[in-house]
Amino acid sequence: MKSIRKSNFLLFMLPSVIALLLVLAIPLGYSLITSFFDTNLKYQGLGEFVGLQNYIDVIKDVYFRDSVKTTLIFTVGVVILEFLAGLVIALLLNNIRKGRNLFFTIIIVPMMITPIAVGLIWRLLLHSDLGIVNYVLSLFGISGKAWLADASLALKTVMFIDIWQNVPYMVLVILAGLVTLPTEPYEAAAIDGASRTQSFFRLTIPMMLPTFSVVLLLRTITALKTYDLIFVLTRGGPGSTTEVISYHIYQQAFRYLEIGKASAMSYLLLLLIIPIAFLFIKISRSRTV
Amino acid sequence: MYNRKSKIEVALTYVVLTIITLFFLLPLLWILRTSLITKAEAYQIPPNWTAALTLDNYINIFVGNPFGQYFFNSFFIALVTTLISVLLGAMSSYWICRCAKRGNQLRMAILVTQMIPPVVMVIPLSLLVKSLGLDDSYFALIMSYLSFNLPYVIWMLLSHFESIPRELDDACAVDGCTQLQAYFRVVLPLVMPGIMATAVYSFVVCWNEFMFALNLTGLNTRTLPVAIASLDTQQGVMIAELCASTIVAILPIIFLTIFIKKYLVQGLTYGSVK
Amino acid sequence: MKRTSVRILSLLFATVLLLSFVLSGCGGNSDEDTTSQNTINILMEDVPDTQCVIDNIADFEEATGITVNIESVNYSSMHEKILTQMLSSTNAYDIIVVDCYWVGEFVAAGWIEPLDSMIESSGFDTSVYIDSMMNMVGQVDGTTYMLPFYNYMLALIYRTDIWSDPELAEGYKNETGKDLAAWDSLEDYVEACKYITSVKGDEMAGAVMQGLRPDPIAMEWCNYLFSCGGDFYDASGNITINSPEAVKALELYVDNMTNAAPAGSPGYGFDEAFNVMAQGGAASYVTYNWMLPKLENSAESNVAGLCDVAQIPGGVSLNAGWGWAIPHNAANKELSWKFLEWVESFDVCKARALSGGSPTRSDVMSDADVLAACPYLDTVKSIMETSKMIPIMEDAPQLIEVLGRELSEAVTGAKTAQEALDTVAEEMASMT
Repeated sequence: MKSIRKSNFLLFMLPSVIALLLVLAIPLGYSLITSFFDTNLKYQGLGEFVGLQNYIDVIKDVYFRDSVKTTLIFTVGVVILEFLAGLVIALLLNNIRKGRNLFFTIIIVPMMITPIAVGLIWRLLLHSDLGIVNYVLSLFGISGKAWLADASLALKTVMFIDIWQNVPYMVLVILAGLVTLPTEPYEAAAIDGASRTQSFFRLTIPMMLPTFSVVLLLRTITALKTYDLIFVLTRGGPGSTTEVISYHIYQQAFRYLEIGKASAMSYLLLLLIIPIAFLFIKISRSRTV
Repeated sequence: MYNRKSKIEVALTYVVLTIITLFFLLPLLWILRTSLITKAEAYQIPPNWTAALTLDNYINIFVGNPFGQYFFNSFFIALVTTLISVLLGAMSSYWICRCAKRGNQLRMAILVTQMIPPVVMVIPLSLLVKSLGLDDSYFALIMSYLSFNLPYVIWMLLSHFESIPRELDDACAVDGCTQLQAYFRVVLPLVMPGIMATAVYSFVVCWNEFMFALNLTGLNTRTLPVAIASLDTQQGVMIAELCASTIVAILPIIFLTIFIKKYLVQGLTYGSVK
Repeated sequence: MKRTSVRILSLLFATVLLLSFVLSGCGGNSDEDTTSQNTINILMEDVPDTQCVIDNIADFEEATGITVNIESVNYSSMHEKILTQMLSSTNAYDIIVVDCYWVGEFVAAGWIEPLDSMIESSGFDTSVYIDSMMNMVGQVDGTTYMLPFYNYMLALIYRTDIWSDPELAEGYKNETGKDLAAWDSLEDYVEACKYITSVKGDEMAGAVMQGLRPDPIAMEWCNYLFSCGGDFYDASGNITINSPEAVKALELYVDNMTNAAPAGSPGYGFDEAFNVMAQGGAASYVTYNWMLPKLENSAESNVAGLCDVAQIPGGVSLNAGWGWAIPHNAANKELSWKFLEWVESFDVCKARALSGGSPTRSDVMSDADVLAACPYLDTVKSIMETSKMIPIMEDAPQLIEVLGRELSEAVTGAKTAQEALDTVAEEMASMT
């Protein structure tokens, strides 16, 4: 039995493991090592060993600490809203027969646009003087806002655009989960006289829980790393209201060439994600048999 | 399940869905409109609804640039990456579900590789690629895309495999199937909707990826996002051309989704394999 | 059902196999291209100059037998793209263009090749360049690393019809006792802008501004800084970025941004501000000098024929530009130089200027044909001769980033002008 298991491991897992090690081992190792060195790409070699100094510097940086807060607000906000919106849309789509394909095809298009183009196009739509959004609002007598220039609005606007682009992902995955649910339990519940609300809470939610936790977890990780949209839309401004961790990492790595500090920031981000990930894994695994 | 819905409820569902769809559709229509007019008209407020429509922007992107080549590059790279990652990823995912002893740690290990932002990964990766003489090759880009696609595919499929009862596998084992046969003949057909959704996602991620593409491609392998981004010049955003190339770039994925929607949204009749 | 899935899978397997064959084939081809002896690869941005070089490249290829490939990427990603090439032992590019505030960094890192010996042996004359260009994207500490390629000096672009409108001028005179378009100092300019905004209301702003971090806001504000008599360092190298002149410059900037410019200005980049101007929504705009011909182009603008360019009120403009450079790890530097010699020759530079380019050579800017096609270049040249630049320093990209952030903080009101500039000064202390 054991040997079968081993040969199956070779068959099922080894190709993936090799592929991942091939591309990930060196970059991950390099960034872990440089996070303990005073590495600047302007100079050859790793530079001086500085121990935990990079980490200390980063934590001491007021702007970095603020960006942790901004990142958390952004991530929690977009993940929850996208999930709820995605769930509602997927449930609605799952409830209809006619026109489902049409609705579905239109709804998932925003996901297919490259984020840089999404950013540039929304800058056109939200242009506070020449954008169509403010113009349409003015037709209804609502005065337009400076969506990306107002310090109290910019983060919300960026979140809104992120939601527009990423709800389709949620719809795609949740709908794929919903259509694979077995129909027998529902039939049984209907015979027992359960209402549709009851069977939603007693059957759909528990059966979908593994899918939910996976999309939430994966989306949390990608949201924490969001960079393209911020880069195109606000560059962290106005002021520092939309500075997220990954924008700091970009600045350190590509603008200041301080790859040591950038790596330290990345590993701090890792420390932030790991507990969240563990929580999700525990939740999803404890409910399934 | 369906016979209990009242007509009002059905009508309401359609109304709500239409409103939601408009939220996604209207900006897309504006992109389409912008792609057919000049930049000066694009920024005109109130909009000039009678502006003459022109295909110049589409002609410009194809004539001035080898846009067809970029298109092929993107398509080829996204397709190969998706095929490899779905093929390998689905098998690994199945194995983790059914056989792994330390499932949680393994899941975590796969996930940890995705937590470091690409900005930090891309520098050592491009140095590695250059030192192997692989820069400006499809191979380098496909391998680097596997680095984030494969883990995502494995993860996204986990829940789908978990929802398939283990008894099915056991029944196969009793019939004398190997695990590989059970996987291909019984389990895989059942998770096809999940596989298709994952494949679409994987394709889209590759199709849109910018950071790795920027650093690893040269003239021969340049992909669409890099070409589209280069329309944002120091002299201004060529917004009309940008919208035209965006429209061109989303068309193939729409066709792809229509082609596989059978698996994606209709689901499979669960009973057929029983 | 089972049959189909098996068939699909075997199809997938076959495709992957087939593709990997194609792959290995393609890899081989592209290698041959890059190692070829008579090819040079150039990384640049897509601007009119680039287009003109592409149009004329056949002459060069014919005369020398060298094949030229030009790759253009978006400006904001160029630094990343160059970076990874510089760090390897070989470089995919034989020629790159360097932005003025990368110069210090590139020279300190040893990434660009000194050109002096090649200039000497080929007898190329560098005295034809305008001094302020040569000092910025040419020489560093007496060594020539680059040839000035392209200028994007900032200047004031204004609506001639608005600033000479007798009604506006009279109203302004009655209210303040000053001439609307006198512009003796930055204060006068800001006051006049606020007046225009107050009179025109939603219809037109006195100035449109660009508060996007980091380059747009930092570059725009530098004009205010220099015009108020401030600078980054004094003559003996002390940091003066938080001097009273600089604080005044920032206060004026914030005043103009909040009270004259459209509400979206703190988030605008160069392009959004351009479009406000092009749609007739603003009376003035501090921007790159070559935005003027774009505003005169009716495909992009609705105010063609109504704009002109001038010195920044009260003083000194920010000079900026790109230089051609040869990477330290370029494959064949002799070939690279041959191309530079050709592309920077008088005839090619003149052709570039005539097709909408942005000249750096003094003789091209005063050429009769060029002036006939672009009369504004005369003004540009005189502004350029007195312009100042961002100091050449290793950490200039960091300086721009920090400056951009703090200026934006001041604009949003999160910090006062003094606080913001004190932070910049503090961070500048550790920059070299």
